[in-house]
Amino acid sequence: MSARDRILGAIRESLGSTPRDTAAIAAEAAALLADPDAIRPELAGPSLTESFAAKAWGLGTTLDTVADMAEVPAAVSRYLAQYGLGPGLAMQQAPELTGLDWSALAPHDTVAPDEPVALGLARHGIAESGSLVIHSAPDNPILLGFLPLHHILVLERRRMLPHLEDYAALLGREDGIPRNAILITGPSGTTDIEGSYVRGAHGPGFLHVILVGDEE
Amino acid sequence: MSAPAPQAGFKARAAAAIADPTLKIAIDRTTGTAERKRAAAVAAFSEFEAARARGKAIKDHVIAHLDHYLETFERNATAAGAKVHWAASDAEACAIVVRICREADAKLVTRSKSMLGEEIGLPHALADAGIERAETDLAEHIIQLAGERPSHIVWPAMHRTREQVAELFAEGHHPPPTAFDPATMVQSARHELRTKFLSADVGISGANFLVADTGATCTVTNEGNAELTTTPPRVHIVTAGIEKLVPSTAHAFALLRLLVRSATGGELTQYTTFHCGPKRPGDADGPEEMHIVLVDNGRSRMLKDEFREMLRCIRCGACMNHCVVYRQIGGHAYGGVYPGPMGAVLTPVLAGLERSRDLPSACTMNGRCAEVCPVQIPLPTLLRAWRGRSWRERLEPSGLRYGIGLWAAVARRPRLYRFASGAGVRLLRRLGKGGWISRLPLAGGWTGSRDFPKPAGRTFMELYRAEQSGKGGPS
Repeated sequence: MSARDRILGAIRESLGSTPRDTAAIAAEAAALLADPDAIRPELAGPSLTESFAAKAWGLGTTLDTVADMAEVPAAVSRYLAQYGLGPGLAMQQAPELTGLDWSALAPHDTVAPDEPVALGLARHGIAESGSLVIHSAPDNPILLGFLPLHHILVLERRRMLPHLEDYAALLGREDGIPRNAILITGPSGTTDIEGSYVRGAHGPGFLHVILVGDEE
Repeated sequence: MSAPAPQAGFKARAAAAIADPTLKIAIDRTTGTAERKRAAAVAAFSEFEAARARGKAIKDHVIAHLDHYLETFERNATAAGAKVHWAASDAEACAIVVRICREADAKLVTRSKSMLGEEIGLPHALADAGIERAETDLAEHIIQLAGERPSHIVWPAMHRTREQVAELFAEGHHPPPTAFDPATMVQSARHELRTKFLSADVGISGANFLVADTGATCTVTNEGNAELTTTPPRVHIVTAGIEKLVPSTAHAFALLRLLVRSATGGELTQYTTFHCGPKRPGDADGPEEMHIVLVDNGRSRMLKDEFREMLRCIRCGACMNHCVVYRQIGGHAYGGVYPGPMGAVLTPVLAGLERSRDLPSACTMNGRCAEVCPVQIPLPTLLRAWRGRSWRERLEPSGLRYGIGLWAAVARRPRLYRFASGAGVRLLRRLGKGGWISRLPLAGGWTGSRDFPKPAGRTFMELYRAEQSGKGGPS
C-alpha cells in the first residue's frame, strides 16, 4: 500500500467513515469567512491611502506621491539623490515602466547579486497592513525584489485595496494564480540576535513606494 | 558551547540550564520583548478574541475534513505543475527529500527555516547523504555554526547572547565581521550567505499553510531568505505537516493575522509568499521543479483522541514565551524538537510517552499558555491527559508511585490528613531561617535552585476553625 493510501486510510479511520458531502464542506468553509469585519482590524486612517501610508511609515517603508506615471522617473531620481546613489538601477521590463522617459537615469534589465537599486511595479497595495503585492511573471523576476539593497515599487492609487480578503477575492480573477504571489510588508529585517531589530537581513534594507495618481 | 547530550534525562538538562546564568539572560531578553510586543499587538486589535474563535473554527473545520482537503490540495498542486509526495513517517519523508536531491545531482542545498524539517531530522539525513546544507534563516545559520538544535520555534538561536554570536561569526565568516554589534553581524551573514543562495542546486522550505483551493504553499519570513532559497535553485522542495491545510487564501489570511501578532507582535511578516507550482513558460526566474512532501509522522493518530486539538497549532511560539518553566530552562532542556508547552504535548506523540513523560510534568498548570494560544488549544488539559496516561501505563518510577499512593491514602482520611499536615507545617517552620527555608530533606530538587517559603504557623483548616468558632459558625 502506498504512503498516500496509508495516510488517508489512517485519517478516515480516525475521523470515522462519514459519507463526504463536498457541497456541505464548501458551505461550511464559506461560512467561516462570513462577516469579515468582525475578525479584522479597522483601517488606520480615514482613506485607503492614509491608512496605507500610516502602516507603511510605521514599518520603515518610505513613501513619495506623484500625480501621474510620467513623473515616476523624476521621483526615482529624487530618491537616488537622497541616498547618494548613481543613475544605474535594475528595472522590471513592464511596458508601464519601460515606456517612460529614462534619459536622466540608466536602467538595465538584469539584476546583479549585489545590485544597489531595483524598480518594479506593485500589483496592489493593501491599506490594512501597508503591504505591497507582487506577482512573478515573464516581465517580473522575483529576485528583483530580493537581491537589491533598495527596492522601489510604483503603486497606482487605483490598485489600492482595503483588506487582505479583498486581495484574496481578486487572486486568480485577473490572469490566473501566479507562481509566486508575495505580500511585501516593510523592508527585510531580523530580530534573531537577542531580539534587537536589524534592517536588511537578506532582502532589501530599504523599501520605497512611489504612489501614482490623485486621491479620488 | 555544544548541544546538550541527548542521552541525558530531562531533569539533568533542566538542572544544568537553571545553573547557567548566561542562558537566563539570553532567554529573558527575547521572551520579555516577545511578551510585551504581543500584548501591544493584541491590545491594538480589538477584534482579536473574535478572530481567535474564528481561527479555531477554521482549523477545526479543516481537521474534521482533512482527507478531503488533502486530496483537493494534491489535485490543485499537481495541476499547477508541482509533484506531491506522501510520507507516513519521518524516515520516509527524509528518504523522499534525499532521493529528489540525488536525482537533481545536488551538491549544495539551501534551506529556509522549517520546524517540520527539524522534526523529521532532515539536517542529519542530508549530512548522511553527503549533501552540503546551508541554513539561510539568520538564527538557523547561527545554530548551524554552533552545531546546535533550535531552542525556540520562532527564534531558534534565542539561547545565545550577542557576545556568543560574535564568537561564532568571527570564526565562521570569511572574512569575519568588521564589528560585533547586531547590525554589522547581520550584514556579515548577508554577505556570507549570498553566494550560497545563488549557487545552490536545491532549495528546501517548509510551509506555514497549504492552500487547498489553489494548490499553493505559503511561507512567512521577515528576512527574505525563503524567497532567496526557493527562487534561484533548479529544484524547490517543500516539506509540510498534513495539518497545515487551509481551504483558501482568505482562510490563510484570517490565520495569518493571529499567527504574526502572537509570534512577534507584528501584523504581518515582511514577506508572505505563496508558491504555486514551478517556473511557468516565459517566467523570468524560478525553479524548474517543485516538490511538496506531505508528512504525517503521528498526526493521523492524533485525530483519534483528545490530542486532535493540538493539530490546530500554528507554531507561533506564544505558549513558550509566556511559560514560567520555559523561561527558566530554555528550549534545549526539553530534549525534543518542539520546546515549551506545545512541545511538552507534541514530544510524547513523536518520541513516545515512555521517553518523554517528564515533559508533561514540567508544568505549573498556571494556564498562561492556553490564555495566549491564538487557536485556543487547551494546553494544560492536554498536559494533564498525558500525566493521566503515564499513570495508567505505570511509567512513573516506583518510588514516585509509592509516594503518591501513600499521599492518596492519607488524603482520603481527613482526620489523619489534618494531623499530618499540622505536624508537617510545624516541622517546616523549625527548618526555616527568616521567611525562607534553604535546605529541605527529600526536596533538594526545589531548594537546590531556590528557597522554599516558610509556612504559616498553622494550617488553613486550623485557622478556618478558629475563625468560625470566633464568629459562631456560618449563618
